Amino acid sequence: MKTPTLRDIERLSAFLDGQLSRADAARLESRIKTDRELAAALDDLRQARAVLRRTPQRRAPRNFTLTPKMAGIKPPVPRAAPVLSWASAVAMLFFVCTLGTNLLGRLSFGAPASLAAAPSGMGGGYGGGPADTNATQPPASVESALPGTATPEAPPYQAPGPTIAAPGMGGAEGYSTPAPETRAVQPPETTGNKRAEPVNPWPYIWLGLAAALIGSAMLVRWAGKRAFRRKASPKQKP
Amino acid sequence: MDEPALIRDAQHGDLDAFNSLVLAYQDTVYNTALRILSDEDLAADASQEAFLSAFRALNSYRGGSFRAWLLRTVTNACYDELRRKKRRPTTPLEPDSDDGEEVESPRWLADPSASPEQQLEREELEHAIQHCLDALPADFRTVVVLADIQGLDYTEVARAARVPLGTIKSRLARARLRLRECLQAFRELLPAAFRLEKESGL
Repeated sequence: MKTPTLRDIERLSAFLDGQLSRADAARLESRIKTDRELAAALDDLRQARAVLRRTPQRRAPRNFTLTPKMAGIKPPVPRAAPVLSWASAVAMLFFVCTLGTNLLGRLSFGAPASLAAAPSGMGGGYGGGPADTNATQPPASVESALPGTATPEAPPYQAPGPTIAAPGMGGAEGYSTPAPETRAVQPPETTGNKRAEPVNPWPYIWLGLAAALIGSAMLVRWAGKRAFRRKASPKQKP
Repeated sequence: MDEPALIRDAQHGDLDAFNSLVLAYQDTVYNTALRILSDEDLAADASQEAFLSAFRALNSYRGGSFRAWLLRTVTNACYDELRRKKRRPTTPLEPDSDDGEEVESPRWLADPSASPEQQLEREELEHAIQHCLDALPADFRTVVVLADIQGLDYTEVARAARVPLGTIKSRLARARLRLRECLQAFRELLPAAFRLEKESGL
């Protein structure tokens, strides 16, 4: 009898777990029968294993279930995603179209431009000084800014009665009534050249389309997220 | 529980299916981490990390024992924790009693279903085993926990610990021998049922 070597201990441990081949196991068994030290070592290993197998098992202190956020799962992409993913770009395009249409409308119709030029023309009429008959002529700037309203061939504009000196009115020679403000800048309706300013509908159409597109994209996204959250709520520990 | 179906669904990204597996195995995973790390908070962190890694790497699971595969994942998480612990050693804070002294076994850890005597026996046994496990090198401890506490076979332990089969045999034998010597010191403390006497059945 001699103290078991480390190699013997390894064999005994494997024998205990049934990991030796049949031939090796039979050889070791015969040795154990004759060697007390070896039998005692086997008992030691067996007892140590028995204690370990009885180690108390604890319950997990909390649930380790994963939330979609922890797992890095994103809500499913809605079916309309390929279209809606371009929603912001298309909306931007609509916005640019709106601006462009508005600007082109101003340039082509010209009404806003004439209004913008009006104050300089009005300056002559509102000079503060006494008005005379010359003041009744529309300012040149207004004429030039209103194509079609006054052509070089058209007869010179004459203001109506109030601007003409009234003969025999209390000897007020040279007296002339101040011209009404509106008449100083507005062309006479009798010429038939005044046009009602047209309303350009395209900016409103573009804006409406953009708003509808963005609104529908947000609605679809919100509905998808809501459905995903409802489905993916973590389970509770039983 | 239809485990293969749950695994299949989980592999297709079904989080509910994976969470059903988590609920089934979380006690096993937590206990493995607790015995290797000997720290409840670290064990909980490692368990959570293990389940997260398992979900991410679920497509690498190619059949066999899912339990063994999960234990391999938690073993890796425990090794990561041990490495982190080695880099930044910390002193655990125990809760204080009314006298201002540290309480080693806080009240909330008690199992309400056991009687006080059973509770005491259980705590003493657990304390003795954990003390002896802590005295082992981490590699030996892992092998013993997987083989003797969780009951994995040698091949599964070798796969989990990523070492050859021969190394597992050697480590397990040495670890058992050391544990036997260590537990002898607790002989009087251990409850009668666990007094390192001849095991009846083998």
